[in-house]
Amino acid sequence: MTLESDREITPLVLPGERTHERLRNFPPVADWDHHVEYDAKAHPRKVPHEYMLVPTTCFNCESACGLLAYVDKSDMSIKKLEGNPAHPGSRGRNCAKGPATINQINDPERILYPLRRSGKRGGGDWERVSWDDALDDIAAKIRAAIVEDRKDEVVYHVGRPGEDGFAERFLLAWGVDGHNSHTNICSAGARLGYSLWGGYDRPSPDYSNAKVILLISSHLEAGHYFNPHAQRIMEGKVSGGAKLVVLDPRLSNTASHADLWMAPWPGSEAAILLAVASYLLRTDQVDRAFIRRWVNWSTYLEHLHPDTPVDDFDGFMDLLTEDYAQYTFAYAAEQAQMPEEQIEELARIVATAGSALSAHVWRAATAGNLGGWQVSRALFFLNVLTGSVGTKGGTSPNGWDKIIAHGPNVPGGHESWNELLWPAEFPMSTNEMSILLPHLLKDGRGKLAMYFSRVYNPVWTNPDGFSWLEALTDEALVDCHVALTPTWSETATFADYVLPMGHSTERHDTQSYEQYAGKWLGFRQPVTRVAMEKMGRIVSDSRESNPGEVWEENEFWFELSWRIDPDGSLGIRKYFESPYRPGEKVTVDEYYRWVFENSVPGLPEAAADQGLTPLAYMRKYGVFEVSKDAYRIDERPLTEAEMEGSTPDAHGVLRKPVTLDSTPPLVGEAGSVGLVHEDGTKTQGWLTPSRKLELFSDTMVDFGWPEYAAPGYIESHVSNRSINQENGEMVLMPTFRLPTLIHTRTGNAKYLNELSNTHPLWMNTLDAARFGFATGDLVRVNTEIGYFVARVWATEAIRPGVIGLSHHMGRWRTSEHAGSRWAMGLVDLTKTDDGVWKLRYKEGIKPFKSDDPDSERIDWDDPGVHQNLAFAVHPDPLSGMHCWHQKVRLEKAKEEDQYGDVVVDTKLSREIYRAWMATTRPGPSASGLRRPEFMMRPVKPTRRAFRVDGGRPQDQGADV
Amino acid sequence: MQLGFAIDQRTCIGCHACTVACKTEHDIPVGQFRTWVKYVDDGSFPDTTRSFGVMRCNHCTDAPCVKICPTESLFKREDGIVDFDQERCIGCKSCMQACPYDAIYIDKDTSTAAKCNLCAHRVDEDLEPACVVVCPTHSIWVGDLDDPTSGIARLVNDHVTSVRSPEQNTGPNVFYLGADRAVLDPLAAPVEDTYIWAKPDAQRLANAGDLPRDPGSTARTTLNTAHPRPWGWKVTTYLWTKGVGAGALALAGLAHILGIELGGVGDYVAPLLGLFGAATTGALLVWDLKRPERFLYIFLKSNWTSWLVLGAYVLTVFSGGAVLWLLAALLDIGWAMTALAWLALPASAMMAGYTAFLFGQAEGRDLWQSRLLFWHLLIQAVMVGSGALALAGLFVDLSDDAWNLLAGSFVVGAVLHLVMLALEYGGKHATRQATVAAHIISSGRYARTFWWAGVLPVALAVVLGALTWGGASVVLLAVAGLLVQPALLAYESVFVRAGQDVPLS
Repeated sequence: MTLESDREITPLVLPGERTHERLRNFPPVADWDHHVEYDAKAHPRKVPHEYMLVPTTCFNCESACGLLAYVDKSDMSIKKLEGNPAHPGSRGRNCAKGPATINQINDPERILYPLRRSGKRGGGDWERVSWDDALDDIAAKIRAAIVEDRKDEVVYHVGRPGEDGFAERFLLAWGVDGHNSHTNICSAGARLGYSLWGGYDRPSPDYSNAKVILLISSHLEAGHYFNPHAQRIMEGKVSGGAKLVVLDPRLSNTASHADLWMAPWPGSEAAILLAVASYLLRTDQVDRAFIRRWVNWSTYLEHLHPDTPVDDFDGFMDLLTEDYAQYTFAYAAEQAQMPEEQIEELARIVATAGSALSAHVWRAATAGNLGGWQVSRALFFLNVLTGSVGTKGGTSPNGWDKIIAHGPNVPGGHESWNELLWPAEFPMSTNEMSILLPHLLKDGRGKLAMYFSRVYNPVWTNPDGFSWLEALTDEALVDCHVALTPTWSETATFADYVLPMGHSTERHDTQSYEQYAGKWLGFRQPVTRVAMEKMGRIVSDSRESNPGEVWEENEFWFELSWRIDPDGSLGIRKYFESPYRPGEKVTVDEYYRWVFENSVPGLPEAAADQGLTPLAYMRKYGVFEVSKDAYRIDERPLTEAEMEGSTPDAHGVLRKPVTLDSTPPLVGEAGSVGLVHEDGTKTQGWLTPSRKLELFSDTMVDFGWPEYAAPGYIESHVSNRSINQENGEMVLMPTFRLPTLIHTRTGNAKYLNELSNTHPLWMNTLDAARFGFATGDLVRVNTEIGYFVARVWATEAIRPGVIGLSHHMGRWRTSEHAGSRWAMGLVDLTKTDDGVWKLRYKEGIKPFKSDDPDSERIDWDDPGVHQNLAFAVHPDPLSGMHCWHQKVRLEKAKEEDQYGDVVVDTKLSREIYRAWMATTRPGPSASGLRRPEFMMRPVKPTRRAFRVDGGRPQDQGADV
Repeated sequence: MQLGFAIDQRTCIGCHACTVACKTEHDIPVGQFRTWVKYVDDGSFPDTTRSFGVMRCNHCTDAPCVKICPTESLFKREDGIVDFDQERCIGCKSCMQACPYDAIYIDKDTSTAAKCNLCAHRVDEDLEPACVVVCPTHSIWVGDLDDPTSGIARLVNDHVTSVRSPEQNTGPNVFYLGADRAVLDPLAAPVEDTYIWAKPDAQRLANAGDLPRDPGSTARTTLNTAHPRPWGWKVTTYLWTKGVGAGALALAGLAHILGIELGGVGDYVAPLLGLFGAATTGALLVWDLKRPERFLYIFLKSNWTSWLVLGAYVLTVFSGGAVLWLLAALLDIGWAMTALAWLALPASAMMAGYTAFLFGQAEGRDLWQSRLLFWHLLIQAVMVGSGALALAGLFVDLSDDAWNLLAGSFVVGAVLHLVMLALEYGGKHATRQATVAAHIISSGRYARTFWWAGVLPVALAVVLGALTWGGASVVLLAVAGLLVQPALLAYESVFVRAGQDVPLS
């Protein structure tokens, strides 16, 4: 809609636009509604096609890069996907998985209609069902659970969400504490280390302006925000001359670009980083002014050095230096099993960073090791010491560079506490204890009336998949399992309903991720629908424009919520009513119209400048940059309005009065608004209880872990000391990603499969020689609960003592007609009478007939090895992170072994589960809390729910 | 104007975005690539390195694929792009032999040659190629290399750059910044049993054992794509049938000129063998086309620089000559026989030897670039042609002179063939690629076929032929004549295969 059609409109300069001489990288935006391109296959004959270019967001990894879909106006098919030059994060560029989206859209193996199982669960027999029937059945079950006060039996388990805020919304509206993320198989470790420092659970390094880039994960091929970060790391390196240091036991593609590649023994990273910290302290190459103002050093003194006056900063610095003096280069070298000189070299490089140290760890060491959260904590310690916090070229917290745009009428906090997701044993866990779900169910701690797996594949992705399989096939534990997924997964095989949800070009979501010192909001949209609407066709829901009966989740949740509460008597329906047509069901257009008109600062004005409504702006550009060059937000002075009604507490934290019914924000404490400094300035500060960077965490003391109140080093469960190499023991590193695949989500992208289709076990040539292995030999890898059989790659690209097997591969299907034959081999799943499971491939990948002639051209055959099945759960007692690395024993494959075999005794899984549970220190805390209030928690309940007594004794035990 | 690419390997992260963006832009079948990323690992832990190289068409200034293409399906545009028109392509695959960069493939959907065309359909609309647009680190540059003010020209001129296979003198227009030599040099980094996350194809694996190891290098290729041999048994076979036909007719002509009566062998068997050779060659050639129904394009859309076209005319002229010979013999027209006998010599020479010029245009196959090849093909023709005539001679009554001519030609031909082999495989080669191919034949994985099936029977045949020449039974010559036929086939099979085995990427 044009607001002022006669006004002159300055075209936007897109951040990803480029012209070299006469060649530009994208057609000008003015042409996007009628861009003519000539057929590449018919060339040099000129066969024109007229396209509508519609932006959307990639739905493969978590980077959420912009895409631009080419919708052919003659038949509304999608020709291809390029990058979106309007996107300030990805700037028109993509990794291989962006363009490969077209394969996923056209995949002949995708699920096009809602399915209901027709035989026993997991039997592989399915029948088509109408959306109406499926919705009615699911809604009735959820309604019953809500009405009968069994709310905790409703759980939504999500993989990489690729969206912000929407799942929160419907769960809060239902009053269900049922958000179960995948985070503790992913990033819970890193999150705890970061949360303890500043409240925010993620870092946002400003790579392109850095002097030193220190990575403990492989951000040039996977990392967290692969493509956006790779762009900026290379910019920092090439334009700014930044030094790149990579710590990784494996030569990743990222390590191959490092000025210094260090391959430490897994789990020793914190010791190395603390040795660097110690060096910075003893050589006084630290930012004293920053530390003095922003670190809670008085608390440190108060607890650890009570004899020193709490205002003696110089005394503190001396004591800190002394306290960390134990982390010598020699000590770190011993832990890391690497030369002392390399660690010293790292320290010297870090010291050159000034306040421009961009440091990042995501997954990697923090996800592999017991105590891995101390790695991110020790890493951020270096940012703190060098004063590279929130600076240009430094490392900011994610919250400064991210916006969550909420819809109208946000439901308030609830009072539930689902102990199946937030068990008392893990009060400090950064996210839900989703890895434990099958075990908690088996413990008899509860059951599930409705389990949604949403584009998530826990049977395959989580450790201990056979326990998942046992729980999911036990109808007494899981009454109904609904898989929301665009494509087949191992988990969907064990569902009651498989409901097809759209790929990135077939759905609405908003999302925002910290990828540089700025903030953007991206808009994923069903591109064919948008094109149809622009061409004047009315589309009432996305099923009309999507293939088959594929839907999108937003509309599904709107509809389901209405069916749960058709007359509004449960108080749910009102959250799904139109803000513009009272009492009517909200449409996606209305929902996002409201979001863009009300929740995105600056968007309405920017849209008006373009003569557009905010919604039309987002439909046109797919993204809006809310802010840029965001540095040192902690120093932002508080406004009078923000401070109104607040008073400083004993530590200078400005607080407004709260009650037990107050709901804390997603991160941070209820009522806390900022900090009064010594000099009287009042600034925003951090989201910790002290609003400072917490070198010393009172919270840790309160929750019974005083020994970890300050950054330290925890010896990993796979430390060098604990591995007996004489006995054939090694550390297995099972976590690394390939640049061309993403978990099980890209299994249906043929252009990715053809590039990455085998699964060698990386083993240093010295180890291979020691065991007598050559490349290609079969090896039996024994874990605590069973074994798997893999193929050796003798290589120089991994350190001795450590073996690596990439993530993504080892896909399987149990039946001919439910699965993706591009990537999944056909298996026999058997269980012996004494409960030992065995997975054996009957068939690898082979060509098959389909509408796509390429399926008959498949020239790969290796489905890989599903190693995760053979891993027991290893919940870190603090972060709750599944500690992925495995102590394994290698032996030559036996006569009866076949490549890809996995054998597991789930009784042993139970034993290992109990052993790790025994290391926990269950809540509540000394002050009666189930969990620290300031830490991020999805679907955050009221303060009352944080308290075990809750002020309402009758609520106790309601969850059991 | 010369459009080209500059690829900055200093910032390339090996992510394959270019590979996939290209595939979706052009809708390329699974298993085929216009651009891809090669990985090479080198060194020993902890000093291990990994290097990437983006491989693709080099849009050569002097593009051998354009020269060899018989139908002008491949052509060089004004702006320097080496483009192609699949509607003209007959699928002869000769461009794949001419290209020293593994850049061309036969598209499985269209059965025609395809390669990077610098997204000419986009460039025509002032848009960058898809790979340039997608690259996360902007490591691929495109532009006019001839315009010193262009971004790409400044990048190339201000930095040390390298190109792939400069020794091929094709004028490549893809320049690499910071590329590891081991990535660009197809011989420097053999594969070691597996790639990092894909399986090497059988041909690369087989080759790995035959590639020379640089003792100072531990480089190994850890990711690459498959480039199967374009030409197989059909080409091998026609090299033989062509030889038999050309040799037989040439000998008949020679006998006629020398006044030696070969009777029915000279009058009918020789021209029939000639016709047989030309016909099977033609049939095999057409059969080997991926678009055989377009074979007439060779004559209708001829590219006169292509020896595939000139060869087709040689075949036609030779066949016509053989028919005339038959007619002249049938009608017993002496002067015509004499005239045809004189013409038969150069026609047969061209029939047997033009393949040397075609193989010479196959710039990607250094083994085939041998200067001896033309003469070797003639010698082979004499050997198998005389051998075939000797076999036929058993069934007619030939004079001693005739037998002496056949035996002499055979022995001289066979001995010279062995001499040629000795020169070819005993001597030094001009390039490393040719050396490797020769090594594969003489002492690599084809050595058994070469020595036992290719050389030994010929040596034996020389002895038998010499015995006949010296007066022993003509049966020995006939046996020898029989022996050399499969022996030549065996040799041609390793010659054709090994020529194409050596990796170009």
